[in-house]
Parts: sequence; structure tokens; C-alpha cells
Amino acid sequence: MNRTAHPARRWRTVSAVAGAGALHLCILVMAALTLFPFLWMAATSIKPPEEIFRPGLHLVPSTVTWANYVTAVQKVPLSRFLLNGVIVAGGVLVLQLLTVIPAAFAFARLEFRGRGLLFGLVLAALVVPGYVTSVPNFLLLSDLRLTNTYWALILPFVGSAFGIFLMRQFFRQIPGEILDAALIDGCGTGRLLWHVLLPLVRPAIAAFSVFSVVTHWNDFFWPLIAIQSAHLYTPPAGIAYFADADGGANWGAVMAATVIIVSPLLVMFIMARRQFIESLAHISVKG
Amino acid sequence: MAYLLLLPAFVFFVVFKFGAVLYLIPLSLEDWRLGSTTRAFVGLGNYRKLLVSTEFWNALTNTIVYTVAVGVLSIALGLVLALAVRRSGRLQGIYQAVFFLPVAATMSAMAVVWRFIFDTNIGVLNAMARAWGLSPLSWLQDDRLAMGAVVLIGVWSNMGYAMVLFLAGLTTISRDLYEAAAIDGASAPQQFRAITWPLLSPVTLFVVIILTLRAVQAFDSIKVLTNGGPLGATQVLSHLLFQVGFQYFDTGFASTISVVFFLLLAGVTLLQMRVERRVHYQ
Repeated sequence: MNRTAHPARRWRTVSAVAGAGALHLCILVMAALTLFPFLWMAATSIKPPEEIFRPGLHLVPSTVTWANYVTAVQKVPLSRFLLNGVIVAGGVLVLQLLTVIPAAFAFARLEFRGRGLLFGLVLAALVVPGYVTSVPNFLLLSDLRLTNTYWALILPFVGSAFGIFLMRQFFRQIPGEILDAALIDGCGTGRLLWHVLLPLVRPAIAAFSVFSVVTHWNDFFWPLIAIQSAHLYTPPAGIAYFADADGGANWGAVMAATVIIVSPLLVMFIMARRQFIESLAHISVKG
Repeated sequence: MAYLLLLPAFVFFVVFKFGAVLYLIPLSLEDWRLGSTTRAFVGLGNYRKLLVSTEFWNALTNTIVYTVAVGVLSIALGLVLALAVRRSGRLQGIYQAVFFLPVAATMSAMAVVWRFIFDTNIGVLNAMARAWGLSPLSWLQDDRLAMGAVVLIGVWSNMGYAMVLFLAGLTTISRDLYEAAAIDGASAPQQFRAITWPLLSPVTLFVVIILTLRAVQAFDSIKVLTNGGPLGATQVLSHLLFQVGFQYFDTGFASTISVVFFLLLAGVTLLQMRVERRVHYQ
């Protein structure tokens, strides 16, 4: 190997190193800007009032106080909001899985008349945005006297076109021999679904669950409409309601409440980064 | 048997999706305020009202401005970040998580944080401006600045999404192509123009569609930060629908807005599907 580098090549190496350095610096700056709201929220939540009102950028508090958290927990029914979030997101997910899995199986594996047409309807449902159905769904739920209940937050989202679409892909990938073998062994459709197929589509269930829980936990528009009493608000509506009611008088407590509201999802995100990114960006679906 | 398996899901589709969309049509032809006992059929009256409504045209214009601005900036930054993050070696996973964090975070709660950052009196943005001798700005109360502020938040919450999709697309491009190009003496910009950009075009189109649909439907940040104000400067269709339908309880007019919103979204989707057919590998 020739160790004396050609001048042009050496210049190329120098510029490559400089380029790589500049690149890393750029990403680092962008990353810092992206994280800033999270850091600022966390920092403010542990600052005493006089520091919150101090002019300039002071990310690290010089005195740490937990008083904001005490105030937040006393003034805001945070645990109730979080409980509501768990009930609603959990309720939506369970009912979605119960309706989505059988339908996806039928579309993927069974021959029946009108399959193409019915699947076309599923695809049509996929492109109907939630805003568009809000007025009629609100009227229906109030006729049923279900507004201002958990049911109002759960029922409109049970039929998941996206879930059927995703699960169908997975069911189609399962080799036919497995199904044939199970059927020859005298396995009924119900048992086939439960004991043979379900374990095979577990990754799809995980992907869909992450997507569903994040979507419905974060949903802000529908709870604002369907719920009138603050004690039934899910976390996004609850925190916005509290921030409005507070009117900016006590930002320390508002930021502490916000930390508590965003933490559950952020912790789950950090623990299962890959799964979250793939599920939310539907990367696995495109394959 | 198959129909029995489909039944539960379709009951919910029929009631809350198809039934709801169909019910919009008669509702949009009525003059009806929720809670009032009189309902009158007014034919296309609401549609005529919509066509001359400055509020509606303002919201439509703002929706387009917001969508184009957020879309273009998020896609450009997402692509740059994807190209950069891909070369960051072992840190790639961490960077991906950092830039994707705003996508997973609860938007309405983070919008409360942004409201604090933009606050005229004690917001950190103005605090820094004062520290550097600049005059503070009323970010959310000035009708010339508010749209910029919500666009910034839109880009913050979407560029990581675009980045992740581009990264997935980049992994499908064979490294051999770059090696061959490098041997032929192609510079990095030349490689980008000749290999990355054309081979990435299907992914780019997919990103454009997804981000357009996400941006058109933005609501949370606008509701929390500006309520569509000041003076309608950040009023978008989703928020107009919310106000008309659930604050003014003008059910008939809100249904009309919903129909138009639906046609608009369907139009965007169809347009992009047609474009998609013309895009191919070069």
C-alpha cells in the first residue's frame, strides 16, 4: 500500500473530515432545537417563581423545587385525567381488536361473494377523516344519551379500517399449509383463529396496538366535543382545560402538570423506540 | 361464516362512518341550530352562505398556506435530516428517536409548552430577545406573526415523521450504486442528483401525501395557541368546523363545511393518486 497520499486525495480527506464535523454539528443543533420544548418544560416545572420570571435563557435552575408539582396535583385532577385516558384508549383498543381480527381474517383467507366490494368499503372508510363525521356522530350519541360518557369517546373509533388493512396483510402472509393442517386435524374456525393464527400475527397486533393507543390517548378534538364535564376529560383535553383556566398565572404548576400528562407516552416511547417509530410511521405496512 | 366475521366491524363502519357521511347531506340542507326546536329545509342555502362567507374563504386560504408551508419545510428538513442521520453511525438510533419524539408526544400538552415559550411577557423567546437588546414581539397576538408561530410548531412535529419515512426509503437504495458512482468520480451532490433523488421519488411522493393529509387536519396546536386568532389569522378549516358546529351550534352550516372539507380531502387524495401513477423509476 502506498502511504504517501496524493495531494488531491489528502485534500479530499481533509474536506471529508471537515464535512463530517459540520454535519454532526448541524444534526446536534437541530436535535437540541427539537428537544428544547421538552427540556424547557421539565426545567420550568422545577423552578421557583422568581426564576421563572427571570429574563434570559436559563435552562438549568439554580434552586430546585418540587412545589410546582404539589400545586399541580392539588389543583388539577391529574390522576383522574390519566385514568380516563387509560379507560378510553384501553376500551377502544380491546373493542377494535375484537372486531378487526375476525374481519381481517375473513378478507385475507375466506372466499365469499362481494369480498372485493366490501374491502373497497373498508378502504373508503380509511380516507374519511374524523372531523367530517363529528357533527353527525355527536347528534347520534346525544340522541342515545351517551354524550358526556366514556362510551362517547370509545364507540366512534371501534371500527378501524386501518386495523383491518394492517391485519389482513399479516394474515395473507401465513402459509396456507398451516391452515390446511389445522383444518385436517379437525380444528374449528374459532379455535383456528385463537390457537393457531393469533400467535402468528402477534407482531401485527403489537404494531396496531401502539398506533391505536397513541392515536386515541393523544386525541384532543373529539373529547372537547363529546365531553362537557372536566372530570371525564382525557389527558390532552384535561391539560388544555387547566392551562386555560389558569390563564398563565402560574406557569410553574402548568408545566409540572404538563410533565405528568406527557410522561406516560414518553416513557413508553423511550422504552420501545423502534416499535413506536415503525407503528406510527406505518413503515411495516409498506413492505 | 365470512359475513359473521365481518359483521361486528361493519356495524361500526355503517353507523359511525358511512351513515355519518350520508347523514351530512340532509343536515347540510337544513337551517338548524342545535337545541332549537325549529328545523327548516333551506335547500342549497347553506352552500350559498358558504360561498359568500369571508370566514370560510379565510379559513380555506389559511389551511392551504399552513399545509404548503408545513409540508414543504417538513419534507425538506426531513430529507436533509435523513441524509445526515444516516451517516451518523452508532448515533443513528438516538437521533431518530430525538427527531421522532414530537410525533409521539401529546400535541395539545406540548402546545401548552409552546404557548409558554411564545408568551409575550415571560416567554423565553422574548426573554432572549430582550437579553440581546431586541424588542420583544407578540408572537401569538400579532396577526402577522401568529401563522409563522403555528407553522413552526407544525414543522417541529412533522419533520421527524418525514425523516423516518425517508430513512426507510434510503435503506432500499443499494450501496453498490454509490460505490460505482464514486469510482466514476461522481461528487456527493452529483450522486444525490443521479441516484438518491430519482430512486427516492416514490417515497417522496408517499411522504408528500401523508404530510399533506396530516397538515390539512392540524387542529390541536391552533386550538391551544391561538383559537384561530388573532383576527382569524390562524383560522383553519378544522378549527372553523369546531367553532361553528360546537361553539355556535350551527349544525346545518357546520355540516356544509364538513361536506366541503370532505370533498377537498378526497380531491387531494385523488389528485395525488393520479400523480403517483406518473411517477416511476428513472
